[in-house]
Amino acid sequence: MTKTYEIRKPIWCAGCGHFGVQGAIQYALQAAGIELHETLVLAGIGCSGTVQNNIGAYGYHAMHGRVLPTAIGVSLANPDLTVIAAGGDGDGYAIGGGHLMHALKRNANLLYVVMNNGVYGLTKGQDSPTAKTPLAAPEEDPLDAMMLGLSIRSTTFLARAITTRSDQLNELMLMGLQHSREGKGMAFIEVLSPCVTYDDTYSQWMNKVYDLDADPDYRNDDRGKAFFDLNRLIEQSLIPIGLIYHGEHASLQSAMLSDVTPFHSLEDQHAGHFNQHMEEVLSAYAV
Amino acid sequence: MKPAIYDISAAVDKDLLRAEVRDDLTVMVAGQGGDGSLTIIALLSKALLHRGYHIYRTSDIASRIKGGHAAALMRASTKPRGNLGDQIDILIAFDLEAVQKASNRLAPNSIVIFDSSREAMPPDLVPETALMIPVPFSRLSVRDLRRDLFKNSLGFGLLGRIIGLADKEVESCLRKHFKKLSSAQLEPNIKALREGQAFADKAGISGRNSILTLPAQAVENERIFISGNHAAAMGFMAAGGRFFAGYPITPATDVMNFLERNLPAVGGVVMQAEDELASINLVIGAALTGVRAMTASSGPGIALMLESIGHCGSAEIPIVIIDCQRAGPSTGMPTKPEQSDINMVTRGGNGDYPHIVLTPGDPEECFYGSILATNIAQRAQCPVILALDAVCHDNFTVPRFDLERARIYPGKRVTESDVAQMEEYRRYAITEDGISPWAVPGTRDAMNLVTGNERNEWGLVTTEPDMRVAMVDKRSRKIETVRPLLPKAVEWGDVNSPLGILGVGILGGVMTEAAERLAEQGLHFHCHRPRTLWPVLEDTIDFVNSHERVYVVEQSEGAQLAGLLKSEGARADKIVSILKYDGLQFSTAELVATIVEKERLA
Ligand SMILES: Cc1ncc(C[n+]2csc(CCOP(=O)(O)OP(=O)(O)O)c2C)c(N)n1
Ligand code: SF4
Repeated sequence: MTKTYEIRKPIWCAGCGHFGVQGAIQYALQAAGIELHETLVLAGIGCSGTVQNNIGAYGYHAMHGRVLPTAIGVSLANPDLTVIAAGGDGDGYAIGGGHLMHALKRNANLLYVVMNNGVYGLTKGQDSPTAKTPLAAPEEDPLDAMMLGLSIRSTTFLARAITTRSDQLNELMLMGLQHSREGKGMAFIEVLSPCVTYDDTYSQWMNKVYDLDADPDYRNDDRGKAFFDLNRLIEQSLIPIGLIYHGEHASLQSAMLSDVTPFHSLEDQHAGHFNQHMEEVLSAYAV
Repeated sequence: MKPAIYDISAAVDKDLLRAEVRDDLTVMVAGQGGDGSLTIIALLSKALLHRGYHIYRTSDIASRIKGGHAAALMRASTKPRGNLGDQIDILIAFDLEAVQKASNRLAPNSIVIFDSSREAMPPDLVPETALMIPVPFSRLSVRDLRRDLFKNSLGFGLLGRIIGLADKEVESCLRKHFKKLSSAQLEPNIKALREGQAFADKAGISGRNSILTLPAQAVENERIFISGNHAAAMGFMAAGGRFFAGYPITPATDVMNFLERNLPAVGGVVMQAEDELASINLVIGAALTGVRAMTASSGPGIALMLESIGHCGSAEIPIVIIDCQRAGPSTGMPTKPEQSDINMVTRGGNGDYPHIVLTPGDPEECFYGSILATNIAQRAQCPVILALDAVCHDNFTVPRFDLERARIYPGKRVTESDVAQMEEYRRYAITEDGISPWAVPGTRDAMNLVTGNERNEWGLVTTEPDMRVAMVDKRSRKIETVRPLLPKAVEWGDVNSPLGILGVGILGGVMTEAAERLAEQGLHFHCHRPRTLWPVLEDTIDFVNSHERVYVVEQSEGAQLAGLLKSEGARADKIVSILKYDGLQFSTAELVATIVEKERLA
């Protein structure tokens, strides 16, 4: 077998939540039987943005905040690949926040994992948009990306997990991966992944999570009720986790890709169909 | 003497109906946006294209949906010109503002057709020797056709008679132009055309009794009439381009529109992104899989993309970027041309990174340049920028593109079977030519890491000093590897002259004509138009340094081109800058006068 890069050991602080997220991604890939060479893991910039080095698949390190448009580009250009985008809450909700709503709206076949620790780890602990009581603006409420996801009507898979409950995290990760692989669209999973160095929220979060998967009255196929329930839980200072929403909507691929020619192969370039098309295009300009 | 004014009731003087032969004609049609100025010029262009003329067509429009002053201009000539004539020979003005705008460019013997429905024309705005024809376009159009909308067909009917086009020639142009309209929509236009001709009848202008005539010209090679944007988009397709993402911006949107119409039929994808950051990163995503991908924007959008362009230089991702330059800074003047992104596209972005910038001068160069850009991006695994100026939206006659010449060079791509032969695969292997073998995701056993952080050969992040230097040097070597493929400058004029004129892009046309005229005055110039902006090629530096004085002509206040040449070794004492940044194109007369004046003082 050809030798390729040596899989990196994570560079995270001992106890960082990101270990658990990586473990779940690896578990899901294995459980779904997806080959590493058919997988591209794209990551943002941040402590979280090193996960792609530790898995053994193809890896791409996007610019800060741009992981989603890049992942969408990949998923359209080669629909056979398994596309996993990952990053921090700063990467995804601050600098990349503008892309998030459009990605949710487009519903491309990919898995997006946000490692939410409420801080910017790599730049040493500044508040992120999900920080509970930001130092600079304590009156601001943190962003809740699941509420955002629910408000966009073309979302199809929204879930939140916490690294301390690894079984649930693994299970949701596998479901999300399969959702995207089956062409049902984008699976968006936010994982509460504490930063032990700059804001150790383990005990705080463990006490506040509310497991919707364990609530028989919760309906994850009812967008309106889900929104209502989440809002109520947040008002009670709880953090809802579990499969928050699961629905159906046409994926970006089903809307945009035709079956004309597999466009990532250029072998057809000088074949009849292409030439004829180009001649026709050109003839429109003939004098 | 006041200009002769003819109205609907009087016939034009017999001695004006001499069917004077012209081989070079500049026509302007102007009014408020929505008046149909663009349509008349499009129709006239079509008619004269059929007669075998070279056409250059441009417009001057306010950045508004409807309303605002809009002018369309066209030059028909027996030589290919790529710019307007100095003076306007025929003006159709739908309002006073149009005459005011054109006033100082009207030829002494110009013909001014003026919409007299609302206001009388103040004669002092046109030369004394001009011929003025007031036509109540709006009134006629509303009275007989019940819509102001048909003024353009009416105007075209009259114009056809004035320049000696046959009625059936004119009608067939109109029918072709409006071929997408239903017959219910087409008929009033035909009626309006006849109305225009009837108006000409009353003035005695018909058949051979025209004012001007442009005899049919023999055409040797097949020609097309196309803008730089469409040509560049077509070149991208021909070179295997299959993914495009963009965000609307004048004057680049046309590239996206063209590809939206044409790319899906060959299995390509066109996406309108939420902003330019998304556009270029969508493109990067597609490029990562080996698909040939491109984005297009203008100054403000390119500024947003700079981090990503540098990232592609570092991470070795092949993408093509079209920059349709417009007057900056910031939002600037969205519909006005400039060449003031030169600093940004050659030196913009953080850090040192390899990239290439081409600057085509006409739609033909846009087509072949775009093919080259798409291929070189793959060969060198780096970003390639096509920096266009007014060439992007102006239409030119050029020889029909030869699709056979569109070749696809895959570069150093490695397949699964190549990999199977390798003991190890390193994405960023240090090579002599600076280009590393590239296996895209999906290739078995060639897993690799792509990053914009500095890295080792495996793609693992490192700051180790020797590796850093080796990587930077490797990346810069790739530019040397592809340098021989980069288009050299075009040179013409008097090779023995110690005096030079240098400019890029669309300025080639005006430089040519200015040099011809200067030569008639005994001032001989050697002309040089670089087609590669970055890296600056040696022949351009040599050109400057081997002449006594070189006029560097450019559309920017900051003398960006001259600055670039100086920083790359051109001697400052050789360069005399001629700068224009009023939002207008250079005219030949203006360039000639400026050079003559500077030569007098030199
Ligand atoms: C354009 C740009 N701005 C700023 C930075 C600096 N920067 C690097 S990582 C980061 C924040 C990372 O926080 P987050 O995404 O939450 O990830 P974490 O480190 O917490 O996993 C910032 C601001 C950058 N790399 N690029
Ligand atoms: S700083 Fe925080 S986020 Fe970064 S590795 Fe350490 S614990 Fe994790």
